[in-house]
Amino acid sequence: MSNIKVLEQDEFLKKISSQEIEEDSQKVEYWDIVWAQFKKNKLAMFGLYSILAIVLIAIYAPFISLNKPIYVVCNGEWDFPLFASLFDQNFFQNGVDLFFNLQIFLLPLFLLLIFVKVFVMMDPFFRFFPKFLAIYFGLSIVGFLLIYQGGHQVPYKDWTEIIQKKRMNGQIVDVLMPFNIYSYRQPNVNPGMNPAPPNSKQILGTDTEGRDVFARMIYGTRISLTIGLIAVSMYISIGIVLGALAGFFGGVTDIVISRLIEIMLCFPTFFLILTLLAMVNTRSIFYVMIIIGFTRWPEVARLVRAEFFKLKSMDYVQAAIALGFTKGRIIFGHVLPNALGPVIVTAVFGVASSILIESSLSFLGLGDASAPSWGEILSQGRAQFKLWLILTPGLAIFFMVSIFNLVGEGLQDAMDPKQRR
Amino acid sequence: MQQYIIKRILMMIPTLFAITVIVFGILQMAPGKPGGGLETDSESANKQEGMAGHLIFKRQFHLDKPVFFNFRFWLNDDDIIQLLDEKYDKTKKYTRAQKNVATETIEDYGNDILPNFHRILERSDDKELKIRILSSFSANAARTLIHRFGEKLSEEERFINRETERENRRVAKFSYSPTMSSAEFDKLNFQVIDYLRSIEDRWNYSLLQKMYKCFFDTRFSYYFYNLLHFDFGISMVDKQPVLPKIMEKVGYSILLSVGSIILAYLLAVPIGIYSAVNPKTLLDKAITVGLFMLYSLPTFFVGTVLLFYFSEGSEYYKWFPTGGFKSIDSDNMTSLQQLKDISIHMILPLVCLTYVSLASISRYARTGLLDVIHSDYIKTARAKGLGEWVVVFKHAVRNGLIPILTLLGSVLPAVVSGSVVIEVIFNIPGIGLESFNAVITRDYNMVMGIQLISAVLTLLGLLVSDILYSIVDPRIQYE
Repeated sequence: MSNIKVLEQDEFLKKISSQEIEEDSQKVEYWDIVWAQFKKNKLAMFGLYSILAIVLIAIYAPFISLNKPIYVVCNGEWDFPLFASLFDQNFFQNGVDLFFNLQIFLLPLFLLLIFVKVFVMMDPFFRFFPKFLAIYFGLSIVGFLLIYQGGHQVPYKDWTEIIQKKRMNGQIVDVLMPFNIYSYRQPNVNPGMNPAPPNSKQILGTDTEGRDVFARMIYGTRISLTIGLIAVSMYISIGIVLGALAGFFGGVTDIVISRLIEIMLCFPTFFLILTLLAMVNTRSIFYVMIIIGFTRWPEVARLVRAEFFKLKSMDYVQAAIALGFTKGRIIFGHVLPNALGPVIVTAVFGVASSILIESSLSFLGLGDASAPSWGEILSQGRAQFKLWLILTPGLAIFFMVSIFNLVGEGLQDAMDPKQRR
Repeated sequence: MQQYIIKRILMMIPTLFAITVIVFGILQMAPGKPGGGLETDSESANKQEGMAGHLIFKRQFHLDKPVFFNFRFWLNDDDIIQLLDEKYDKTKKYTRAQKNVATETIEDYGNDILPNFHRILERSDDKELKIRILSSFSANAARTLIHRFGEKLSEEERFINRETERENRRVAKFSYSPTMSSAEFDKLNFQVIDYLRSIEDRWNYSLLQKMYKCFFDTRFSYYFYNLLHFDFGISMVDKQPVLPKIMEKVGYSILLSVGSIILAYLLAVPIGIYSAVNPKTLLDKAITVGLFMLYSLPTFFVGTVLLFYFSEGSEYYKWFPTGGFKSIDSDNMTSLQQLKDISIHMILPLVCLTYVSLASISRYARTGLLDVIHSDYIKTARAKGLGEWVVVFKHAVRNGLIPILTLLGSVLPAVVSGSVVIEVIFNIPGIGLESFNAVITRDYNMVMGIQLISAVLTLLGLLVSDILYSIVDPRIQYE
């Protein structure tokens, strides 16, 4: 008798646990549906693949364009100048470059871990991915800070000259150079004229200071991506917190925060950014990001606030309130996950518009002069009236902005239940 | 409704005040001197003449006052001694920048530093310190005249000014020179202490006076006081009044943005309706993709390319001028020719401004209509057997186009700042170019003026779009 009872209990437990699993997997299901919808949209998929490609280009930029050989073999001695210079702050002066150079090593690890998780351990992708991404970014930022603080500096060596000398001395040198043999800061690469039109050596020509445009374009992806990522994550976080507080608590909190939102929305954003930027004496890409991040949050806050107002009157939230759940649990466990969809869409569109804002600022000459920004090349093109300095960066900005807009729109459609068949 | 509008307008006042405080604060925090580009200590500032000019400039814009709160009735003697030490430093203990800052700070304190001087002169036995104070004294004791830079003065004010000037002349004699003998120095010292004693009660402030000085003897309150009289100050670059300058420039921008908005709505609404009514057709897809591309095209790129191919400077089609609002010789033309001249100048900028708003408005129109067209009441209308035309235009469009009304509210602020890039590219002397130049030259009053005016316009725009909302959608009611 007792045995049967135990068995029944076991089955009962199993039933419960299987139910739990089902419930658990239902949480993920929403994003699976969104992904399934998203996959049907060919343009959006094209956008997504392009973003991935651009990320890869940005990270592996040194292998595409740098004036240092990947390896040099001379008298059986191997040397790797490219790898040696990756964290050299005398060569890569910009923090953005150091950050992306770090990714050269971190990204393969990350991808390997994801591969193992998905194909070996068979975990559902959307359940672990956000956590993974957060850990990954945390790690890279810590690593970046360590490298940045380390301040590793090596005197500059002109490798093309060194190799030439060695060859002149009759030594046999085996060299593998990157695809394009210029770095983005190297001036006067074309002995003829500045700016030089596209030719067999500089495939996209050179700019007014004689720097190779192709190299600047490749490294420009880093600037654009960083701007998009940091500025947007800054203003999305500020917007979510303030909007959630205002929308959920209402009353005085709402009055104060909506007043703040209203005040911030009254400033013409672009002009405000322009003013703030002109006030900062040092032209740095980080100021641009921070200024964009601090000026564009009201849109997000307003969106989240409206979403919270809408969701607050829903039965399930009222039920949660009636059940006496803590406010934090209701806000972050019940309301925010449902309000997050539109925010993610805004974030993706925000990346596009932040890139646009940064390139307009560089175009107007208020960007970071040392950073290889696409807008800056375009402004040279406008001043010099040279087509190769106009078309390349212009089309690149257009491409970058449209792929993010495509993905944003694809997401928007995929999340819209009305368009689901 | 009227009550609602009045309430909204009243609510604008604190918002505007907050905006004024924020922008003012931002501009005052900015490093560097206004009007003078980026350099902080230029050559001319070191010369005597430049110094005097700079002082007048500072007094004129109240730049010698603290920004928001004035606590200068509480100056500390030790701080003053430290500042004097930095100012008259001969041992190279301090950097040049520190020395300049100290000099400027003592200069800015003006009359407010005199009680401290008085106390130090009476109590201290340090001769070096006394020499330092006496050499700064005449500059600091000089008092400013009332409305020195204004025009109209009442009889009473003129009298006060005469008195002040007489006193200033007396003060100017109290100047220390290194060639003075010890007796002369002592005499000067006594004279100065005597003078300071005679005017001692000037800084025996009552609490009320202190409060007044704290809140109202500041840069911000002087600016705000003028603002209440619709006086936005004068441009720090060319010394012209800001408001007339803005008003003069705003016309060009209004022409541009209103023109482009009208064009955009005229084109966008039909496009939006067409693609919403015939979704998933080939033409709809083409329109969607095309608009999408337009939406992502950066204006400055399009503007530059258009200039490259179609302007007079190009090697291809010299159809349009390279920029500006009208030709140089347009004053000699007949009005019809002038109209033609201006429209030819406006075509390229209008194209650039229109395509962006066209893309976004028609996308809004399409999504707005699509939302509505699947709703039940449209199905009911169709089920009733109404014609497609009636269903779309009478039932769907009215509700479906509500979202694009909000966009109309954004037209007003766009007048002021929406077209900075376009105006810079095409060199149109509108408010966008003006604001860009003001930002570059750090013309604080101009920047303030433009920001405030555009803030007012934004608030009005929001109000207008809310009112439009309630007119179009009777469900929305404001109480």
